[in-house]
Amino acid sequence: MTSNNSIIYVVDDEVSICRALGLLLKSHGFRAETFTSAVDFLAFKHPKVLSCLILDIRLPNINGFALQGMMAERGIITPIIFITGHGDIPMTVKAMKAGAIDFLAKPFTDKKLFDAITIALSKSKVQNKDQSEKDKILRRIKTLSPRELEVFNFVVQGMMNKNIASKRGTSLQTIKVHRGRVMQKMQAKTVTELIHMAQKAGLTAS
Amino acid sequence: MKSKIKNKIKAPLLKKVTRINLEKKIRYQSDELKSKSGQLRQGANREKLGFNREKEGADRERQGAKREKLAEEQIHIRTKAMESTFDGIFIIDAKKPDFPIIYANQSFYDLTGYSKNEVIGKNYFLLYGYNDNSRVYEEIKQTLREGKSFQGEMLNFKKNGEKFWSLLRITQVRDKNGITTHYVGNKTNTTLMKQRDLEIKEQREELLHVTRVGKLAEFVSSLAHEISQPLTAILSYAQAAQRLLKEREPQLQEILQFIINDDQRAAEVIRRLRYLLKKTKPAFESLDINVLINDTVSLIMPDVTARDKSIKLELFTNPPLIQGDRIQLQQVLLNLISNSLEAMESSKDAHELSLKTSLKDKYTILVEVKDSGCGIPEGNMKKLFTHFFTSKQDGLGMGLSISRSIVEAHGGHLEAENNHDHGATFYFTIPIDLKNNR
Repeated sequence: MTSNNSIIYVVDDEVSICRALGLLLKSHGFRAETFTSAVDFLAFKHPKVLSCLILDIRLPNINGFALQGMMAERGIITPIIFITGHGDIPMTVKAMKAGAIDFLAKPFTDKKLFDAITIALSKSKVQNKDQSEKDKILRRIKTLSPRELEVFNFVVQGMMNKNIASKRGTSLQTIKVHRGRVMQKMQAKTVTELIHMAQKAGLTAS
Repeated sequence: MKSKIKNKIKAPLLKKVTRINLEKKIRYQSDELKSKSGQLRQGANREKLGFNREKEGADRERQGAKREKLAEEQIHIRTKAMESTFDGIFIIDAKKPDFPIIYANQSFYDLTGYSKNEVIGKNYFLLYGYNDNSRVYEEIKQTLREGKSFQGEMLNFKKNGEKFWSLLRITQVRDKNGITTHYVGNKTNTTLMKQRDLEIKEQREELLHVTRVGKLAEFVSSLAHEISQPLTAILSYAQAAQRLLKEREPQLQEILQFIINDDQRAAEVIRRLRYLLKKTKPAFESLDINVLINDTVSLIMPDVTARDKSIKLELFTNPPLIQGDRIQLQQVLLNLISNSLEAMESSKDAHELSLKTSLKDKYTILVEVKDSGCGIPEGNMKKLFTHFFTSKQDGLGMGLSISRSIVEAHGGHLEAENNHDHGATFYFTIPIDLKNNR
């Protein structure tokens, strides 16, 4: 496990759990950041490195599930490992459905924890890769002129040039020129590739 | 849909008392009539036996005959009344040594299963001689010997051995000299009432049991949580220390391993305990909230009456159905009602507790339990629903926290606030069952 440039976040309202997990993570060579409330965690500036979050479900004010929602809104993307002192099944199901990596009932051994962290970090790697790719595509889209953007949208919806032309009320030739520039600016070799890009950027349903 | 029913529940006892009074009155009147008619008949006989005061005599005789006819008519009516009552009525001749029954109405035969031949001329106690209730019969005899009327409820057997509960009253009929000539017995079949009482008692006990189990489960669950927190920390501290020591200090390593093992043993105990008391999944069904409230009120009514309080129901007519666990919701209602009763205990002026259902919006039913008791001190408001918080001397502090978790498991909310005048209102919401509506 490459632990040098990754951060493990811990959010638990109990100080001694934060401290103990912090020590345990550090003893394994991880960088650990611990928080006793959801608010503190949200206020933290999250560097773009591999990471995962060990999150207690029952927190005062903003609970684990609520925090999960708020992270999505704010674009904080990191895999979550839920931990709880109440081992109830409905909650486990809810957590797993919401995309959690694992659900650990307290107390848990370091083996269980680090198994989950390994999975979480490999997911984080994929997430980060996806994210940087998405950022790259979005940056390219920003270079499109309003007309090119319009043509781009029609093309990724699978429309033919002549249909776009009749819809826009311009000549087929003009559309072809716009389309060529779109392909060039987006660095796409084929229409299929362009559609994939749109999907990765979350612009069309995959 | 917008109209509301207002009705007050009074103790069902009231009905019973009025009926008993009425019966007493009828019995008294018919006894009175009997003795009057006896006097009249004596008078008429005396005249027939030849006190010959002619003019007056003829007049008197005519008058007497008229009165006698009137009295006979009255007797006829009263006898009819005795025959038509549901209660078994019997008359015992007190002057004969074996106290034989000389009269019994049809209801008595129906009630006991004996025929006229088997009853008339027999001793009442012989009739029931074979059951084991002899203590009751000794008590009856003793009471009557002392010249008092007897009243008591007892288990009897019909001729075919079938059990029935009855309320027996025996009163004396005395002549002018105060000598007891007859006993009049009145037997009311109370089997149905008794059954209903038993059913209510059983339901209450079942509910209490569920509540106790629920309390224990909730207690264990929160205890488990409280303990698993430090256990988690201990385990992580020990494993971090092991890691930091790596291959050094074998003795310390061993000690750390002991700590880890015992930590996990404690965790296992808690896990098993929690598993043992795992709450069974609530059994959801379609429910009418008003029916639920009425059922619960009838369960707690004995308590309400005993405390000299009353419950006012303001129930929304034909409420939409909800999905819920009957027992659990009853538990919530029972908890809120008994809290309210306790809150009203200290103030003498507070008598009425009101239960109200209404539509909060298209999707939600609102249930309010309002009392006029001592209210909730501002400082307690926030802690009201937390585990182990209680303002009662012998309270566990589980009732309201369980109630809240039940309501929340039903997709609703339970809140409390003080009223403007006095007392407090607890209210909870329950979502309407949108799939299952009339």
